[in-house]
Amino acid sequence: MRYLLSASALLIALVLYGALFPAVWQNREQVRSEIPAGYIIPSKFSRILALGNQGLLADFLFLKTATFVGGRGGAGQSLNEDDWRFVTSSLDVVTDLDPYFVDPYILAEGLLAWDAGKPDEANKLLAKGMEYRTSDWRLPFYIGFNYFYFLGDYPSASDYIMQAAQLPGSPGYLMTLASRLAYYGGKTKTALLFLKEMLADTEDPLLKKRLEKRLLAFEGAVLIEGALESFHESQARWPESLSELVTSGVLKKMPPEPYGGEWLFNKKGRVFSTSKFADTLQTNPTPSE
Amino acid sequence: MRAVFALAVITFKEGIRNRSLFGIVLLALFLFGLNIMVAGFFMRDVGKVTVDMNLSALSFAGLLLVFFVGVNLMAKDIDRKTIHLVLSKPISRAQYIWGKYLGIQFFLVVSLSLLFVFSCMTVVLLLSLYPNYFGGFSWVQFVVACFFVLVKFSVLTAIVVFFSAITTSSLITLIFSFASYIAGVTIEEVVFYLKSEFASQEQMISEGLRHFIAVVSYLLPNFSVFDYTLEAAHGLTIESSRMLLSVGYGVVYSCILLSLASVIFARREFN
Amino acid sequence: MDEIQLCAVSKTYNPGLFKKKVNAVKDLSLEIASGEVFGLIGPNGAGKSTTIRMLLGLIRPDSGSILFRGKALTEQDIRSEIGYLPENPYLYDHLNLRELLRFCGRSSQLSVEQIVHRSQELLAKLDLLEAQKRPLRTFSKGMLQRAGICFALLHDPSIVIFDEPMSGLDPIGRKMVFDLVMELKQQGKTIFFCSHILSDVERLCDRICLISKGRLIKQFHRDDFLQSMSQAVFLEVTDIPEQHREKPLAMGVQIRQEGQGCLLAVPGENYFSVSAYLQEVGIEILGCRAEWVSLEDLFMQHVKEQEQ
Repeated sequence: MRYLLSASALLIALVLYGALFPAVWQNREQVRSEIPAGYIIPSKFSRILALGNQGLLADFLFLKTATFVGGRGGAGQSLNEDDWRFVTSSLDVVTDLDPYFVDPYILAEGLLAWDAGKPDEANKLLAKGMEYRTSDWRLPFYIGFNYFYFLGDYPSASDYIMQAAQLPGSPGYLMTLASRLAYYGGKTKTALLFLKEMLADTEDPLLKKRLEKRLLAFEGAVLIEGALESFHESQARWPESLSELVTSGVLKKMPPEPYGGEWLFNKKGRVFSTSKFADTLQTNPTPSE
Repeated sequence: MRAVFALAVITFKEGIRNRSLFGIVLLALFLFGLNIMVAGFFMRDVGKVTVDMNLSALSFAGLLLVFFVGVNLMAKDIDRKTIHLVLSKPISRAQYIWGKYLGIQFFLVVSLSLLFVFSCMTVVLLLSLYPNYFGGFSWVQFVVACFFVLVKFSVLTAIVVFFSAITTSSLITLIFSFASYIAGVTIEEVVFYLKSEFASQEQMISEGLRHFIAVVSYLLPNFSVFDYTLEAAHGLTIESSRMLLSVGYGVVYSCILLSLASVIFARREFN
Repeated sequence: MDEIQLCAVSKTYNPGLFKKKVNAVKDLSLEIASGEVFGLIGPNGAGKSTTIRMLLGLIRPDSGSILFRGKALTEQDIRSEIGYLPENPYLYDHLNLRELLRFCGRSSQLSVEQIVHRSQELLAKLDLLEAQKRPLRTFSKGMLQRAGICFALLHDPSIVIFDEPMSGLDPIGRKMVFDLVMELKQQGKTIFFCSHILSDVERLCDRICLISKGRLIKQFHRDDFLQSMSQAVFLEVTDIPEQHREKPLAMGVQIRQEGQGCLLAVPGENYFSVSAYLQEVGIEILGCRAEWVSLEDLFMQHVKEQEQ
């Protein structure tokens, strides 16, 4: 009798648990999506608080940051300025706690430079990484890329890529790329080449996806730029609108804009998009002109 | 029922007279003092820092209370065979489990309430020192967050009682409970990471791992459910439905653990 | 009806993986009558504590059954009839004796007045009145032992189980406990205890059971030792041939073969006639003894036999 009683009590509790469990987790998901990013204890303190487990704390913080961004991304929410500040300071703390940990640098490049439109912040972190991971060619390469791609500073870009080219394991094309950059500056074709090489070298699936999308956009831009050029050559004027390229038969059909924006062009024959080739952010600087 | 309370009372007394309690209270007082001292270092948002530090101090003290005093209150009984004496009285095994749990729980409530009073004094002091920098602060949220610290440790106590009931030594209980705590605090991050965009593109994460984590998330308590620090720190409104869910989750989870502990304990042999 | 009945109880321990199983108790059957003082003796590791733990339901026998008044040990009703004192009781460090006894009384469903009354009575008997407000961790070993006895007896159980009640006690404490057991016996309680101190067992018990390696070796009745209390004179003599035994037996003498010689229990009033007869038939008196047979002799003898 007693056993029956306690067994049925346990059963009721289990059923209740089964009912509560999804509700609680759903509630958590909602709460997590609403809460501000929160607060990161500066590394000066967290170093001490970690009680000798700085590496572990760095891992945990990194995971937390990645989850935060990933969770927002998955929910289709964009991150606001505060959120990005959280990500920046969190990655800063992670790299303070364990400056040799390479993942946060990669994430910094992927998120801060690409998504947040903060290539400066990314470069700051990457420069910190260069002090410690002295033989890792990726860090100067990323800095160079940021200078080239986001900031339009070709001499600096060429400098850093040269540095990267001298480090072991770096891909062979870096040397040519550096000199090309120094010479030509930023033509979309150069960027296309750069992206293709980067894509071939990337294993991180998320970054790969982003790069592929960007590549698609650039290929579109290069295609339109080519059409513009031949239009300009044959007609000795720029078209009124890009649709004129199609109607005049120079371009078979307008390539898709993977970011969902509208193609634009200027009177130097360069092509842009209203989306500025960005997923989430408004403040993304215009790709180098 | 009388036997359960009798056992709870002696468990409580045994715990409250433990000298480690003084050490833990002193440590908490030190943390509160530290809070008062460092509050001046922050330019704005003193209120937020105060709430953070107070809740962390409470949490830390609670953790020490459970692991240094709570574990001993039950596991030592079995270690040192006092349980032979207790069980020779007309007390059933299930009554023993619930009595011990209630006793430790009562001990936790009293010692955390004491610390809560100190914590409130710190907040009052800082409020009077920096009245302009307590923008988002609200007592209601602060009290709610403190209450959920207690709820969190009630669940942890149930875990301690559970492991005490199935293991033979207090050290093993301590290790298992601590591991459960760490896992319970981090499980949410892991689960949501797996759900996030990043993980879905990571081929390394196999289906097996996903299923494993799903099962683990059922077994372990999700301690983040009881974390209201952020709301208290920024004075954000807390929905009552969320509080209800959190309390319900804690109570049901603890009840399941204790019932299971009773069932296993009833079959156990004491040498 | 028997108060406690063990029917063919066996228990093996599994000390861990890849280790040999230990037979703690094997096929043990005992009956303890109501109002009896029953002593369980045996060398270390004989299975005494295992037996007691099975009686209390702390461990379950692998086979066989244990009955209290013909019923199985269902938890609550019979348990309030049992008082238990473990060997070297460890009590709660930070409680005092009064709180411990209050717990004991409340868990046994006594009223507050009963608890106060009973505990003062017991504390007085065991000389702990002054110590009742001190934390138990300040108690000496003997005091803890006595405190444990208070804890066991507070709810006035009709069956008392003592595991080494005399260990750690000074002579005064032993006397106290001894008197207490005698008093309990007079009140008609059933007492089950095991001890290494054979002289205590011998003086207190109605029946003694010797176990070794988990098996019952022999049960002795109090009468087996009774001569030690009577007015007889015990003589050690050389061997008495069969034909000379008739006359002493007629005079109330008991004869026991012991090695090469014999031990005689001679009633005091017949001492002279018996000794004259022995001289007459040429049997030498080697010496004089205080007791017929000591428990220690029996213990050694049986344990040795068992080992062979």
